Amino acid sequence: MASLCSCSDWLELLPPSGLTREEFWKSKEDVEAVLMGGYRSFASLDNLMFLHGEARADLITDDVNTDEAVRKMMNGNIYSDNWLSNWENFYKVINYCNEVINNAPDVQKIDKTFTDYQLKGLTSEAYFLRGLAYFYLVRIFGDVPYVTTASETDDTDFYPEKISGDSILNYVTADLMTAKGFLSDDYLMVMELKGRASKEACEALLADIALWQFRYQDVITHTDAIIAAKKHELLPASRWFENYYPGNSEESIFEFQFDDNDPNQRNNMYGMTNTNANNIDPSKKAIEMFGRLYSDEPFRGDDEHTISKNSEDNYTIWKYVGMAPDGKTTRASVIQNSANWIVYRYAEVLLMKAEALSQLQRFTEAAELLNDIRDRAGVPKLALPSSAVAYEDAILEERALEFAFEGKRWFDLVRMGRRNDFARKDKLVEIIISNVPSTQKRILGSKLTNPQGWYMPIYKYELERNLNLVQNSYYKE
Amino acid sequence: MRRTIIQNTGIGKPRNGLLSKCAMQSCSMSASSGNNAINLFCMKRLLKITFCAVFILLLSSVDAWSQTAQIVRGRLSDKKTGEPVIGATVAEVDGDNRIIGGTASDINGDFIYKVKNTGNKLQISVIGYRSKEVAPSFSGAMSIAMESSDIEIDAVTITGQRQASSGLTNVEERDKASSSVKLELIEMQEAGVTSAADALQGKISGLDIISSSGDPGSGSQIVIRGLSSIGNNKPLIVIDGVPQDRVSSDVDLSSADDEDISNMLNIALQDIKSIEVLKDAGATAIYGSKGADGVLLIETRKGKMGDVRFEYQYKHSLNVQPPAIPMLNGDEYIMLQLEQLHNARGVFDLPREIAYDRDFDDFYNYSANTDWLGEITQNATTMDHYFALSGGGDKTRYSASFSYLDEEGTTINNRFNRFSTRINLDYILSKKLMYTVLFSYTNSGTDKNFIFNEGQGDNEKNIRKMAYTKAPNMSVMEHDRDGNLTGEYFNPINSYQGNGSDYFNPVAVGRLSKNNKREHSLETTFKLRYMLNESFIFRQTVSFQYSGSKTNKFLPYNAMGIDWINWQVNKTEESNNIWSAIRTESQFAFNAPFEDTKIHDLSGAISWSTNQSGSEWMNFQSNRTASIDLQDPASDAQINWIGSGSGESREMGLSFNLNYKFLDRYMAQFNARADANSSFGKNNRWGLFEGISLGWRFSDEPFLDGADWLGESKVRVSWGTSGRPPSDPYARFGLFTSSGDYVRNSAIIPNSIQLDNLKWENVESYNAGFNINMFKDRLYLEGEFYSKKTTDISFGFYSIPYSSGFTQLRFYNGGEMANKGWELMVTYKAIKKKDMDLSFNFNTSHNVNSFTKLPDNFNNEKSTSIGNGEYPRRIVEGEPIGSFFGFEYLGVYAKDEDAYAKDADEKLIYDAHGDPVPMTYMGTYTFKGGDAIYRDRNHDGKIDLNDVTYIGDSNPDFTGGFGASFTYKNFDVSVSFYYRVGFDIINGIAIKTEGMNDKNNQSKAVLRRWRVEGQNEPDLLPRAYENHPCNNLGSDRYVEPGDFLRLNNLKIGYKVPKNICKTLHVDRMNLAFSGRKFLTFTKYSGQDPEIGQDASDPFWIGVDEARTPPSIMSTLSVSIFF
Repeated sequence: MASLCSCSDWLELLPPSGLTREEFWKSKEDVEAVLMGGYRSFASLDNLMFLHGEARADLITDDVNTDEAVRKMMNGNIYSDNWLSNWENFYKVINYCNEVINNAPDVQKIDKTFTDYQLKGLTSEAYFLRGLAYFYLVRIFGDVPYVTTASETDDTDFYPEKISGDSILNYVTADLMTAKGFLSDDYLMVMELKGRASKEACEALLADIALWQFRYQDVITHTDAIIAAKKHELLPASRWFENYYPGNSEESIFEFQFDDNDPNQRNNMYGMTNTNANNIDPSKKAIEMFGRLYSDEPFRGDDEHTISKNSEDNYTIWKYVGMAPDGKTTRASVIQNSANWIVYRYAEVLLMKAEALSQLQRFTEAAELLNDIRDRAGVPKLALPSSAVAYEDAILEERALEFAFEGKRWFDLVRMGRRNDFARKDKLVEIIISNVPSTQKRILGSKLTNPQGWYMPIYKYELERNLNLVQNSYYKE
Repeated sequence: MRRTIIQNTGIGKPRNGLLSKCAMQSCSMSASSGNNAINLFCMKRLLKITFCAVFILLLSSVDAWSQTAQIVRGRLSDKKTGEPVIGATVAEVDGDNRIIGGTASDINGDFIYKVKNTGNKLQISVIGYRSKEVAPSFSGAMSIAMESSDIEIDAVTITGQRQASSGLTNVEERDKASSSVKLELIEMQEAGVTSAADALQGKISGLDIISSSGDPGSGSQIVIRGLSSIGNNKPLIVIDGVPQDRVSSDVDLSSADDEDISNMLNIALQDIKSIEVLKDAGATAIYGSKGADGVLLIETRKGKMGDVRFEYQYKHSLNVQPPAIPMLNGDEYIMLQLEQLHNARGVFDLPREIAYDRDFDDFYNYSANTDWLGEITQNATTMDHYFALSGGGDKTRYSASFSYLDEEGTTINNRFNRFSTRINLDYILSKKLMYTVLFSYTNSGTDKNFIFNEGQGDNEKNIRKMAYTKAPNMSVMEHDRDGNLTGEYFNPINSYQGNGSDYFNPVAVGRLSKNNKREHSLETTFKLRYMLNESFIFRQTVSFQYSGSKTNKFLPYNAMGIDWINWQVNKTEESNNIWSAIRTESQFAFNAPFEDTKIHDLSGAISWSTNQSGSEWMNFQSNRTASIDLQDPASDAQINWIGSGSGESREMGLSFNLNYKFLDRYMAQFNARADANSSFGKNNRWGLFEGISLGWRFSDEPFLDGADWLGESKVRVSWGTSGRPPSDPYARFGLFTSSGDYVRNSAIIPNSIQLDNLKWENVESYNAGFNINMFKDRLYLEGEFYSKKTTDISFGFYSIPYSSGFTQLRFYNGGEMANKGWELMVTYKAIKKKDMDLSFNFNTSHNVNSFTKLPDNFNNEKSTSIGNGEYPRRIVEGEPIGSFFGFEYLGVYAKDEDAYAKDADEKLIYDAHGDPVPMTYMGTYTFKGGDAIYRDRNHDGKIDLNDVTYIGDSNPDFTGGFGASFTYKNFDVSVSFYYRVGFDIINGIAIKTEGMNDKNNQSKAVLRRWRVEGQNEPDLLPRAYENHPCNNLGSDRYVEPGDFLRLNNLKIGYKVPKNICKTLHVDRMNLAFSGRKFLTFTKYSGQDPEIGQDASDPFWIGVDEARTPPSIMSTLSVSIFF
């Protein structure tokens, strides 16, 4: 049967829809498209970045439409069946990045127009995104599997074990140190400039990781690189709200983009925080910080910039729905859910540096940076005693004011709690239980004395799928 | 018949060679196109080429013409009566019996014809007369007398042609050495059965048939020799040699597995002549990759030579549902609810709906005693008309049938109707050449009720489920506050039970909603058989299949209790499916030319088959059409979802079989097939399947010559392998898909994993069996022992860790499953006399299933959830698939003091303070009097996951049937029983209707509930308690033995005597009464113990959900032959 070979081709049927892997990875456009898929998928995690950064902290509270799982997370009743402990979508992004990193070099062999410079640039962006994803995972879960091969075929090892968060961050740091040299700064469109990884975004991420690992000297090196580049500046107080609307401001370093021209590229934040959502509300503490009656914040607070007042007890987070800092003009209906998710802006770079300086006992320099931020916010400068703890508290408070509802607070609190071998664990517990129902206070207070409990459990269904995983000890029976 | 004639000699081998070459070429042609957009074109081309080849073959049959031509005239007349014979075919045939040309006789019996070659003969044939061959005479009008053929002559067989039943081998029935059973269906046609599956139930050992539901048109589940796969147990059905498998692609929303099988079997029962079941891989290997679940070979009726015969049959049936589970009436329900609330809350605010409050506006609507199940159940009738005609001369034989079936369901608004026609035509062109055309068309319509969340397992809601749940104190129709009926269904937006879309009015949905499916299917098969010489036969089959269906659904707003502004209002859906296939098969069959076939007999065949099929679907759903009369989803409604998809699949196979027989006593058969399927990548594409069977007809041995009591008997052994391809032809591809844009650049993401390791699921089986005839064929025994092992089990949607960036692999091959068992069939003809016949039959089969090896990294615990109504789902290595796990239920605590933890010796356990440890549920709830007792297996005072144990198995130990038939003069009576024993059912209805912890209606069983402290009676149910955390845990309380024995069919027939027939001018006439499922003996407390084993979720098999049970059916039928 000599013609069996030709019959073999007769049997080669391609699917009517979709691109097959065999047809894919042929040009640099393919590489860039998957990289964009990575950005886009990461952007769609805005609700997760928000909830993991805020739900367990003290700035938000629940309302009638709050998802039950979110409510449980807010109250510290976290079990492994809570969908918020599903890391699936972070690993999706990681897999897309792995695809880019693994396949781009082979594409270059086929596509002669694919220059070395472009190859390095695109893979470095993938390293940045993957690094950011792992940084979130490590901060949320502690130890997680470190996957660097793409799930291309069923020959892949799908059953990795956890490795320590610290070693993951070391790998990520090494990747980023290489990547930052190749990241481009010359995008034509502002949305690309702010929405894709740049050298400064990479430095900011490196600084943030270094701060998490308490490598203060490295924090200063990385933040100094950004300051020295002089590409970003603090907006004047009167223009502060431009960070949120229209976004992509001079202060912004990296933010995930949503596009009001693309009906499919909308954020999830609007759905949780709009005036009628009755889902995520500012907490009592947030109202005290920003509401008119209590606040001494003329620009960040004052009932119209960070939160807005709808009625006596009803406030809305204004950063994602407002069009102007007046607490009244909401975004036009066509652009209602296109607010970007800000990952890093210049103000945070300064405060990261201040935190590092103060921990290194360089209080004067730290005070200067801290007061730059306060100055811009129109609040009096602080004169602090020369103690690391005083600075730690002041910077923590300043960060809450500046980055409220930007998904930073919980991670700030955990960083403080972990510092110097959990020296200030009690302070963390105290802050957190201030924002839970009174019935929960005592239980949660004792629960949180175990730092393992600050991390999320591994999702129950993930444990069922991967027998090589071991549950976070805090959540074991 | 006139034809263009071409000069041609040396026909035969080269031509046939050309044909297969054509088929091959078409392969390579489509390959060169290499693009699926061109596939259709290629398909057409293949078709064209095949046609071409068939045509050439046809032409080649017509031989050379020669020099002279002369005119011949004649008159045909009946030999006896002398009347002219009208419409007879006068054909000129050559020395090889090939038809050269011909004409027909006119109204006077005259014919005139110009002979091509004076040396040829004239062959005259007409239905009802014996054919005649005469030499043409040119010297004037010929006068030819025709002899009528009243005597029925057996079907003509082409000499040297083995008449194997159908299919790919040509072994005679009596020589088969593998395990297969053939059932002649003609005899059963008058029994009250409407489908082939129904007729087979309980008749063949090793064949387990379960009606999937009693709703008309819903089909059956057929399992041969136990579950051997995950989710994909479907025997291959072959009708008249044409496989009926369908390959689905994409997400076909409207296809349900069971229905597919029923559609394939959806031919009028009366059309089926016989069904043969191939059980072991020794036999199924020849079907290669499709035969793993066994093969059902169905043969339809063929025409017979002789006068035209007409047959008409009418059946009228009455269908009644078996008695329903008695549910609480309105008053009992209210009492239960009050008790539930009181036990849980102590003091509570009395909800107005259950307060008998006369001032309440809806007082009359909430004080009814509605039997919801009764309201949605009806007695139904079925009508079945069947008309057939058949006959043939010695050139043609034909059989045509038309049938119409109209079956009403026992659930309101359920109906199935089917029109079908089937035409089988054989034409013998010459002694060497014969062709057959098979045509069938079926048009069926299934009307059902609207189903909510269809296909979503536990979330699926149908009106029957709702009827079990709905509060019986609510009325069907709405009353105003004075108690007058308003004419509307009572469907409040909010009731005591909950909102009106979760707790809809089942009668309203049943009456007002629409869920109709109409399906057309068409199949045409051309078969050609050409004898090259005494030893070689070439066969070519080309078959076209098409089926298209359309489903319309509509749920008007007034069927549910929802606001006009609700988004679910006026839900409408339309879906279309089209499927088509082209199959070809070319076969060379041969017989070794041994002088004496009594000594050596060698035969075999080589076949080459191709199969290509394609499907398309479209689904369109919208909500909020502007009026209940606008039921088209495109009528400016709010579009909910639009989807479409298509798929194509191709297969080819080369099969070979060799049969050798020595001294007519020793048989050896070898089957092999190489199969390739487009579902696989190049590396795993070809699969080789083999089977060997050996048989010994010991009864013919000379040393047994003296044993007169022994009839023809044989023993056999066989071994073989067969396979199962994945159901999705594109599964192996890793796909990338667009995910929109990011910063105005287009984004693409991978959305499935490429499967490099996808392979056939492999089944290897061993079989040993015997067929023994004794006492002049009065006692017949057939037994089988088998062992079957499935390796590389194909798991669909195999879960993988989320850390991969994906959630599942479309398929994963791994693990091993074994089925071992034995089967026995006995037939005993007790009386065999001229006027009286009595025979008994019995069959039984025993199968043991076990999961011998789990795949690597397989988590055998799918869900560890425990809670009310929840069973942890596990697969345990070594235990059968379909095992149940849960708590052991031990009754009810009579009083609070009984609920203390005890150690293994039944002694109380004390804590550090010396106090007895109270029994708790997961440490959070402390058991009280009236609560359920569960066995604390580890004696830690806590009922939790550690106390879960194996509590049952849904695999039956024995299945089978027995029956008797008795004929006396014109009367005949037959009974057949069907049994399944040694299996358990999770009574899913009882879980929902005996829990007493929610607002759903409960069954009358709860009247025996614990009410007062200290109450201690046997079989007491726990107390009523609203939202009790653990009174209704997944335990053996709901696992019941499902054993049953059922009188499946009872038939009393009467043959109308000859003399009466004569006065009625009919040949024969039969009357029959039959009853289906008249009696069932079971201890199972649910409505019907016939629960299928749907293995699509291997963790959750054998659960009785609220389906319509098969109905009890009484049928009267009359058959007339004339």
